[in-house]
Amino acid sequence: MKNELKKLSALVGRNIKLYFKDKMTFFVSLLTPIILVVLFLTFLKGVYANTITGLLPEGVKISNQTIEAFCGGWLFSSIVAVSCVTVAFCSNIMVLDKLNKSIQDLNITPVKRSTLLVSYFISNFLTTFLICTIVLVISFIYLACVGFFLTFLDVLMLFVSTICMCLFGSLMASVVGIFISSQGAHSAVSTLVSSMYGFISGAYMPISQFGAGIKTFLSFLPSTYGTILFRQYYMNGVINRLQTVEHVPPQVAEQIRLAFDGKLVVFDTTIPPWALFTIVIGTSLLLLGLYILLAHLKKHKPHSKNDAGK
Amino acid sequence: MATNNVIEIQHLKKHFKEVKAVDDISFSVKKGELFAFLGLNGAGKSTTINILCGQLDKDDGKIFVDGLDLDKDIGKIKPRLGVVFQNSVLDAKLSVLDNLKVKAQLYDLSKEEFQKNLGFLASKLDFKDILNRPLFKLSGGQRRRIDIARALIHNPQILILDEPTTGLDPKTRILVWELLSSLKASSDLTIILTTHYMEEANEADTIVIIDNGKIVANDNPNNLKNKYANDFLRIYKFDKSLPSILKKDNIKFSENDKMLEIEVENIEKAKALIVKYEKLIYDFEVLKGKMDNVFLNITGKDLKEGGI
Repeated sequence: MKNELKKLSALVGRNIKLYFKDKMTFFVSLLTPIILVVLFLTFLKGVYANTITGLLPEGVKISNQTIEAFCGGWLFSSIVAVSCVTVAFCSNIMVLDKLNKSIQDLNITPVKRSTLLVSYFISNFLTTFLICTIVLVISFIYLACVGFFLTFLDVLMLFVSTICMCLFGSLMASVVGIFISSQGAHSAVSTLVSSMYGFISGAYMPISQFGAGIKTFLSFLPSTYGTILFRQYYMNGVINRLQTVEHVPPQVAEQIRLAFDGKLVVFDTTIPPWALFTIVIGTSLLLLGLYILLAHLKKHKPHSKNDAGK
Repeated sequence: MATNNVIEIQHLKKHFKEVKAVDDISFSVKKGELFAFLGLNGAGKSTTINILCGQLDKDDGKIFVDGLDLDKDIGKIKPRLGVVFQNSVLDAKLSVLDNLKVKAQLYDLSKEEFQKNLGFLASKLDFKDILNRPLFKLSGGQRRRIDIARALIHNPQILILDEPTTGLDPKTRILVWELLSSLKASSDLTIILTTHYMEEANEADTIVIIDNGKIVANDNPNNLKNKYANDFLRIYKFDKSLPSILKKDNIKFSENDKMLEIEVENIEKAKALIVKYEKLIYDFEVLKGKMDNVFLNITGKDLKEGGI
């Protein structure tokens, strides 16, 4: 057991080192967050600012600081939510090992297959969590510059949400990774995740702006609940400020909160934060079960003559 | 299992749907020998090696490594094997040292054991100066040396090399062979290799030729040449009349500006020819048949054309 833990630690270290040494993989995994920042700086920030002021009743004006803090919170809630999944998919060393055949070299060592699979998951989680935590810290620095209205509890819950969503993202990447064994499949999945995940999780634009059918569809995806978690904790403080400092009527503030996914209403029921956590953690547990099941079912040994490297 | 056999393979079978990749083969490898596995692409040699390394499940048969049953003791067998794959499968982005260190940890080597083995291999394979360089920055020859070092870092009893010199330039190929010869001379390491270079197979103690999943020959290079390849009488200096006399006597030969070459069944036939034309032959040599001819005569296939 002690020896197996040593091997696990050696493998986790190797996987993390590999990810950070591969500049291209590192850059690709940050591509979606970078695109979001560019979109924000070029036009999204303006669109959101106009939407907020458009929702305000005549005669009510709010400070630039509040608008900046609101837009910044919305942007970073999107970035962190998306990064938890896209970084996990890009930093999946299991897939890279299969593609460049390094897995052959690991399979001939006396390391248990279960240790190898656990090492992939742990390193995937750690790299994703590390990068998302850095993004989180950057977001706090940014908000401190434009207007920091998060409470201690908000900050704490943002860290907890990051852990939960990184677990979810890493487990999802691990489950999908088991099926990927060709460069084509890897490229297809990476492209799909990078381009689609932002949309289906409501990170690129608020879910409230989608049609009823899509809204219903998105309400069945656990990723949506993950994004809403970040939205809530990033925007709670600034929405409270709208009422207390900027004197925006409560119903208008609530309208703004709904318009920007500050809370999620599914079938006329507001989903409370504990339910959002439950859904994300529950899905993660399901994915964990699936990962273990697939690891047992899917043998590592190649089944075709070509796979065997003949 | 005989005590000096480090590997014993009995009635091994592996099918991929309709294709019989390995079709009931049996052979053994003696401790400390250099064992060559020859065959065209798809003949079944890599499948056999992959089964032996535990990378691939077999359909039937038994494999014993150092007396251990592969079916029951794969965990004990793996540390006894060191494998050099056809293409380098080490982590290109990591340094030589990191690659070797991680692999040593996976074999439960202590820090002291690792340092000792690293020092020995780095001096033997001459890679002390590149320890901190990432693998992708190394030349083909340097990389091959690291592949071999990785395979040997845990002191295995058996070194398996799957076409270790394929794709290497002639100079590096010679270097790899010098390393293998030196390792073999200085330890009781058993070396198993697959290769398509006949001159490399020629260096082996035992050669197994596999064709369409079946073993078609299993012997030492000398016996194989005696059995399956003709010898060659090369005449470098001769009387001008010799070619016409050979033609008249119905003896087939090839001629170029340097020599006449006559293919003979065996050394006795060569001797008879030399005696017969003693006064017309001034300088000659008799060459044993080549492994290419052995392979061609056994399988009916040309290795070069087959493109192993």
